[in-house]
Amino acid sequence: MTTNILIAGVGGQGLVLTTRVIGTVAFSSGFDVKTSDVIGLSQRGGMIWGSVRFGSDVHSPLIPMGQGDFLLGLEELEALRWVALMKPASTVVLSQETIFPNRVLIEKEPYPTDIPSTLAAAGLRVVSVDARSVAQRLGNLRLANTVLLGVLSTYLPFPAATWLQVLEDNVPKHTVELNHAAFQAGASVA
Amino acid sequence: MTKYLSKQLSDRDPHYKEAKILRERVLLTGNQAIARGFWEAGGVVASSYPGSPTVEIMESLMDYAEINAQWAMNEKVALEIAIGGSFAGARSLASMKHVGINIAADPFMTFTQIRTNGGFVLVVGDDPGLSSSQNEQDSRFFAQFANCALLEPSNAQEAKDYVGVGLKISEEYGMPVILRLTSTLCHSRGVVELKERTAPAEASFVPDQARYCMLPPYANAQQYFMRERVIKLASEAASLDLDIYEDTGRRDALLITSGLPYQYLKELETGLSIYKLGLCYPLPIAKLKELAAAYSRVIIIEELMPFIEVQLLAAGMAVGGKEYFSFTGELTTDRIKEGLEKAGLLAQEAAAATSAPAVVKRSPMLCAGCPHRPVFHILQKAKALVVGDIGCYSLGILEPFEVLKTNLSMGASLGIIQGMAMAHQTANKVQPLVSVIGDGTFFHSGLSGFADIAKTKHNITVIVLDNRTTAMTGGQPTPTTGELGTQTHTVSIADVLKSFGITDVTVADQFDYSSTKTVILGAMKREGLSLVIVTRPCALNFRIKEPHFYVDREVCISCRACIGVNCPPISMQVYEGQSKKNSYINPEMCVGCSVCSQVCPVKAIKRSVARGEE
Repeated sequence: MTTNILIAGVGGQGLVLTTRVIGTVAFSSGFDVKTSDVIGLSQRGGMIWGSVRFGSDVHSPLIPMGQGDFLLGLEELEALRWVALMKPASTVVLSQETIFPNRVLIEKEPYPTDIPSTLAAAGLRVVSVDARSVAQRLGNLRLANTVLLGVLSTYLPFPAATWLQVLEDNVPKHTVELNHAAFQAGASVA
Repeated sequence: MTKYLSKQLSDRDPHYKEAKILRERVLLTGNQAIARGFWEAGGVVASSYPGSPTVEIMESLMDYAEINAQWAMNEKVALEIAIGGSFAGARSLASMKHVGINIAADPFMTFTQIRTNGGFVLVVGDDPGLSSSQNEQDSRFFAQFANCALLEPSNAQEAKDYVGVGLKISEEYGMPVILRLTSTLCHSRGVVELKERTAPAEASFVPDQARYCMLPPYANAQQYFMRERVIKLASEAASLDLDIYEDTGRRDALLITSGLPYQYLKELETGLSIYKLGLCYPLPIAKLKELAAAYSRVIIIEELMPFIEVQLLAAGMAVGGKEYFSFTGELTTDRIKEGLEKAGLLAQEAAAATSAPAVVKRSPMLCAGCPHRPVFHILQKAKALVVGDIGCYSLGILEPFEVLKTNLSMGASLGIIQGMAMAHQTANKVQPLVSVIGDGTFFHSGLSGFADIAKTKHNITVIVLDNRTTAMTGGQPTPTTGELGTQTHTVSIADVLKSFGITDVTVADQFDYSSTKTVILGAMKREGLSLVIVTRPCALNFRIKEPHFYVDREVCISCRACIGVNCPPISMQVYEGQSKKNSYINPEMCVGCSVCSQVCPVKAIKRSVARGEE
């Protein structure tokens, strides 16, 4: 039995670190793990995504179509892009963050309205989080992903202590306390 | 569930690299695993030129104090550094992206003739699906071309192990070994069991001209040597114990595969028998023939070109493959399933009703404050015919600029623009030509192109976008990084070009929009070669953040001139209490380059705080 998490966002949002943290937590909790990140050209504001798969014996680092259990959307439009990858009734932890893609900036296409409702209409369970506001209250917008990890953690079978340890190992030393606070804030939002 | 009880360390934790703990298991990317494998195998000399997907190999190698690792100016030099290490008896490695192997092919094709001294591994990262590349070449063919071995790992553990195996093959059979990765394998993490480092043998270069001087008659004899070593390795391949044969008892088909497609295939649990190759050149033909005899059909599952399939067909085996599986893109689990259904080996499932909504695309774009932006804006307005080159500035191909009309390979702009000018001259067409090239590409392979173009009589303008770093691959230093990085010495591109005898050289600050425009338009008017060097550094790499700009909507006339410079923070929005749209600058994203404010015809865009007052 493999659990599949897809992380979707925009280049520059810190997705690689987010993927690494989830993967390391799963691994430290005793699971076999495969992760994947799209790195390269897309880092320049393009669409990026990562995957974490954990279970007893994981082969592919990529999630087959229709097999996603959890979708962590760092940005609304990017979450919407992956609907077909998800299982029916799977869970989306969605940041209330919108970043206009180029086609929208140059007014060639509109940014979709009310993405959470569209996701819900597609049969997904949407947990919409104002991660940016929580991060802002803590004093640093870059903590938004850690807030989201806190929310996601409530759906996953890993102890909170493991999350906190892995965060400590992976974020800059002077931000450990803030990241822990952001994680706890996320965990209590859910 | 498999339990890993040993202490878990993160891949960024420097302690795991010390490997004081035997049988440690960690999560590593394919790239990190390669570096670790080289360290464990007693690797000494390593070099690389940055290119996705293999950038992280060198970055990881540099973390190991025992490895002498450095970036080179291009892949040819990187390969030659590793060759020198091998000549002197050290285990050596060169890593590069697939197109880099083309640059390095000249030394490689002759080096392969030489009986290898210190083990030599060339790690190449192919990019099926072209996630960040200009072509999709299948580099496995280089092994056949160069009469050398090719290993293809399928996960991070194998990536690590195969480095040691490759070095051993290299020393035992006297050949370079290619280790072929693909983008997803490079960037995906898997569980890897660590080992201690094997101490490298003390060695130095022992002169032996017959061995190391590749000219006739020495090189003639090596043709026989290369042929024999490949035949010998093919016959002994089974003893390497790299292949995995999963005999399920079913005899309707044997699936032969290698690399990541093996993992994708495993995911499907088809119940069909699988033979997974670790060594893909030379192939264990005799062994495969013997196995195949027991099966009704043999199907090859491989990404990109039919490399294994054609070898088996040439050996007289009846195999299939590419009639079911695509020759382009990644062969994911879903695509393998589709292929096996087409081959009649899996029951066709009713296609799931995928009513995925059409979602607006998100293409990459120049970052906020990118110094390339004003240059492209000026060239777009000038309707210039621009020959492109490789780097972040390749994004000038995309809308809304669509300025670059050609994009080929590193440094190619300089030759292409001359050829175009020659053709135009013959056709009596008069049109100024412009090309752009970055500092990374300038030193990678632009120098010879510049020496060549120096005396041209055609109206050619070359703009050097000197942003002081190799930006696209994550900000590796170039010779102009200088004091912006850790070096103090900076090479002056202007001085280099002047030394080539180029006299029309102008250095401009592209954040002074109107004077840069004057410089570029002036250069386009002059006959002969005009050089413009723009010098603003990469905003992303050097974390440049000046006070942000904002739109005074009382002044804004909604003309969209600022939208035309196409910066991520700038969009059109309806402000509260208004009906029509005005432009808006996201203050968190704006890094204060000021270009939008300079193109605004009514001065509606203002800096939030004057410089020096914040």
